[in-house]
Amino acid sequence: MAEVKYLSEHYLKPEYRSLDGYKKHGGYEMLAKALKMEPQKIIDEVKASGLRGRGGAGFSTGMKWGFLPNNGEPRYLLCNADESEPGTFKDRVMMEKAPHQLIEGMLIAAFAVKSHKAYIYIRGEYMGPAAILEQAITEAKAAGLIGKNILGSGFDCDLDLYLGAGAYICGEETGLISSLEGYKGQPKLKPPFPAVQGYLKKPTIVNNVETLAAVVNIIRDGGQGYRKYGTEKSAGTKLFSISGNVNKPGTYEVPLGYKMIDLINIECGGLKPGRKLKAVVPGGSSAPVLTAEEAERATLDYECLAGMGSMLGSGAIIVIDDSNCMVDVLSTITHFYHHESCGQCTPCREGTGWIEKIIHSIIHGHAKPGDVDMLLKIADNMKGRTICALSDAAALPVLSFVTKFRDEFEYFIKEKKSKVRGGQIYAQLHH
Amino acid sequence: MSTVQTVDKNSTFKVKRPEAASNWFLPGILLGLTLTGTKMLRNLFDYVKSMGGAKRELMPTVNYPEEKYEYSPRFKGNHVLTVKKDGALRCTACMLCATNCPADCISIVASEHEDPTVEKFPISYEIDILRCVFCGFCEEACPVDAIRMGPEWQTPGINGSEFQYDLKQLAYRPALKGGIVSIVDEEERHKAGI
Amino acid sequence: MHSSTTNVPMVKIQVNGQEVEVKEGSTIIEAFYQNKIDIAHYCWHPGLSVAGVCRLCMVEIEGNPRLQIACNTTVTPGMKVSNVSEKVKDAVKWGLDFHLINHPLDCPICDQAGECGLQDQYMKYGRNDSKMGEAKVKKHKVVDLGPRVVLDSERCILCSRCVRFCDEVPKTSELGIFNRGDRAEVGTFDGKPLTNKYSTNVVDICPVGALTSRDFRFRQRVWFLKDKETICTGCSTGCNVKAYYNKEGVFRVKPVYNAAVNGHWMCDDGRDVYKFVNRENRLIDAKIVSGGKTEHMQPMELAKRLGATLKVRASVALVLTGSHSVEEYEAIVSYFKNDVGTTQIYHWINNPDMIDSFDGILIRGDKNPNTKGLIEVLAKNGISTQWKSLTDAIGTGAVKTVVVAGPENQALFPDMKVKISELSKAAKLVWMTAGKNSELESLAGDVALLPLKTYVEKPGTFVNHAGLRQKTQAVTSIVPGALSLAEAVQLFRGEDLLAKQTPEGDKPNEIGKGRVDNEFTLTRGVW
Repeated sequence: MAEVKYLSEHYLKPEYRSLDGYKKHGGYEMLAKALKMEPQKIIDEVKASGLRGRGGAGFSTGMKWGFLPNNGEPRYLLCNADESEPGTFKDRVMMEKAPHQLIEGMLIAAFAVKSHKAYIYIRGEYMGPAAILEQAITEAKAAGLIGKNILGSGFDCDLDLYLGAGAYICGEETGLISSLEGYKGQPKLKPPFPAVQGYLKKPTIVNNVETLAAVVNIIRDGGQGYRKYGTEKSAGTKLFSISGNVNKPGTYEVPLGYKMIDLINIECGGLKPGRKLKAVVPGGSSAPVLTAEEAERATLDYECLAGMGSMLGSGAIIVIDDSNCMVDVLSTITHFYHHESCGQCTPCREGTGWIEKIIHSIIHGHAKPGDVDMLLKIADNMKGRTICALSDAAALPVLSFVTKFRDEFEYFIKEKKSKVRGGQIYAQLHH
Repeated sequence: MSTVQTVDKNSTFKVKRPEAASNWFLPGILLGLTLTGTKMLRNLFDYVKSMGGAKRELMPTVNYPEEKYEYSPRFKGNHVLTVKKDGALRCTACMLCATNCPADCISIVASEHEDPTVEKFPISYEIDILRCVFCGFCEEACPVDAIRMGPEWQTPGINGSEFQYDLKQLAYRPALKGGIVSIVDEEERHKAGI
Repeated sequence: MHSSTTNVPMVKIQVNGQEVEVKEGSTIIEAFYQNKIDIAHYCWHPGLSVAGVCRLCMVEIEGNPRLQIACNTTVTPGMKVSNVSEKVKDAVKWGLDFHLINHPLDCPICDQAGECGLQDQYMKYGRNDSKMGEAKVKKHKVVDLGPRVVLDSERCILCSRCVRFCDEVPKTSELGIFNRGDRAEVGTFDGKPLTNKYSTNVVDICPVGALTSRDFRFRQRVWFLKDKETICTGCSTGCNVKAYYNKEGVFRVKPVYNAAVNGHWMCDDGRDVYKFVNRENRLIDAKIVSGGKTEHMQPMELAKRLGATLKVRASVALVLTGSHSVEEYEAIVSYFKNDVGTTQIYHWINNPDMIDSFDGILIRGDKNPNTKGLIEVLAKNGISTQWKSLTDAIGTGAVKTVVVAGPENQALFPDMKVKISELSKAAKLVWMTAGKNSELESLAGDVALLPLKTYVEKPGTFVNHAGLRQKTQAVTSIVPGALSLAEAVQLFRGEDLLAKQTPEGDKPNEIGKGRVDNEFTLTRGVW
């Protein structure tokens, strides 16, 4: 097994962006096929495919669709294109290369969950992809693919694009809903869950771009057909965004269950000459870091990484070689979470700032000897104590970095210089 | 000059009578006179010497009020309200001294300060010194070193109102020479983020 | 609260090993609250929606490995909840640490000190030094949110109670939380002032000293104050309030929960009512002006003297306002009807044109606490008079003596001036009132002024707009010689007053409850 072109089959063809080009490669045929199916049948197919949410949590998509209450209220389908996890850039590629694939997937999903209004919530920084999507939506609307009586099936569905204002927290589904409703992008208390009371307090489904795009393939190949790639519990393929110290960073599609080290060494061309692998962040900056030894063993599926105490997340693999000081890396991560905490829940609001301040004082040489333990304690008390997962996302890297690379932190505090880069001043963008 | 002895646990005191020879008190008188005379002469010469500028050491009596006895630095005398570097009062009118005062002699009226970093300050701070028991609890209760017990203890006055010390008296009386600057520097505290 | 009469099914759960019963569908924190079991919390308020942001009301639920917040977890039958386990205590301690790291700890100058949620929880769960050695976040201090509320963003713990209050109760939504993370601050959009009629409630519900009342700010330390429940006499709603007072007078009032009257809230106008009660605004002197000669005397003495003159005079009229209690009305009406022998008893309505207005929340146009009570007593005695006949009677000389009782709070009587000039046309005027009024005091002619007690100085019953009878207690004594109307009637009759009226059943200062007092503070603020 190696890199596959399943979702990304036609991504390299420039005409695939336009409606005509998309249709030339079989575009919107699956929509026509789906519209002739029973909505429940589509949900069953998706369940059978074993498709799991590609945004990070990895929750079964078919099951999520099945949670909607049957109370006759209008339902909403939201596409989460607020791809803001540091290191993740797969959705951007998908939206730029195949906007119609997403639209088709969304229309199928909307039909399956009987929603007549769908939104794509795209992050504020993605102006390029947003323009491409906007163009695609306009084309699709003109062709009668969005709106009333789609393809003569009698099914109505409106689809719109909503540009966020650039907040990480709006990638959290309830934060996204708040933002879409016009409020400050802050997560909402759960329960009630969005499937019961989401957008405008109506049943709402929020799915990632890649998840919705994969629905097209599931309709084409059937639930079982989709399982030709991947493992039993992690079916299908996934797009991975690899960044960091590799020769060929980028977005690669591989089947789930693929060996991480192969992806790094074969697809991405390995590390720079003379460098040794030190650590890998497997699923976006919030995923606990893996040491080189763990990375050797890891396979890219939900179970293996969960077994290692980390997670597949959004599939953003950040490769760190031995030229990096882990304190510096963590400093960047903690700064990000401090900046992005929405400020609702106290542990996250205060904890992210506190952690950043401690890391900052370590880097500037005025940390106290107990600060490493303090970091662990703070992170431990932020974990699982808040409304949304941002607090966990901020705490997990701290816990993993400090436990797995404790010597580097201790050395920094004691010697007031980095174990790796020495006393050089680390020019951080934000300091 | 009698000595007392306990003889037995159960018996009463047995007083030992002085010897017959010492019934005559003249030696005692003479001893006393010698002592007094020596001291007088010594003090006299000492005083005369000191008028020439030498340091007087032997005589414990001082010529109050021209001379004043020096007390220990820990002596708790009249209250002093400390000031900041710019001469403004250090007191924040938190009323902890008034709360803690066992004699109920402190009365404070707080007000809003125009500077938001100061926020609250006393527009009136009065100590009824006649009620004060000089216990020093106010000093201990103060969170910002705004009140101290100073070295002064001579507090004459000719009527009751002179014992009602007000702000001016407590912080800026002439003896303080412009006020005592507090050790708590709020600017530094502010910078340190405290 | 504890309505077992409603048909909502009850659920039995175990809280800290103790079996309690709560309504189905309530949250765990409601179970704690209704059964008066302590639980740390900041953002949850029984009168507001659930925010779930302070993360302090952590509880351990049997069978759930993760701690849950009590405010957003619904009870299920047989649920076993604990907030005393070590795990919960540690979580709360850390929750408190997170709250405190950026708190300025300026308790000495903070008005909330003594009734502060942070102080209370710290004494229960914290008691440790700050673990953060780094600099704190600096924010805005002493921000005027509106005419009545001052904000200190550094002290704010962003519990969002104030924001939710403005959204949900007056529905004016002035407040919001701006910025993100630990830079977040409460504020008004575009600096628009917080001017709704209920704005001071945000000060009450603020668990810390972030929002302070412009009126009460720095005037008194709360531990020098005692409190006692009474009602607000600012309008006919009759909100239940707690008056905070010491020997210098009343300093503020705060609402007390009463589901049947005011819920958790009260209006800003009601908060100003206490002001007329204090000595500086009161009529202190009893005096009688007769034939150009002014005599000052004790109120009791004057009342006795007036009684003697009233008895022999026919052509006496009585003017009553809606400010007094039912007991007082009964006493004075029966005295005038039976002893003096007049049915010329008039009801002075201060603002007839807006008497039925209502803002939909609490404020009513009838600015008297006991209009209903007065009407009741007058009807019982078969008295129905029109104001016009009084002015006519004064004009013709049919009424020679006018006795006026009230008003208590002259600020709510816009027609005070008019009425004084109207009534002073009578040959003899006896005016019994609580507040001072320079015009009254400078009236020439045959005038007697008798100082009355205010609602905080006497017990009584008030009937609110809905006919609800509320009994109040005497809170404190401010003008020593002042009389209640009932006492005045006793003296009019020539009787002596019975044992002096003391505030009944002084109860210990609620604010200091549960806190170890300094031995010397026990006698402070209390006499």
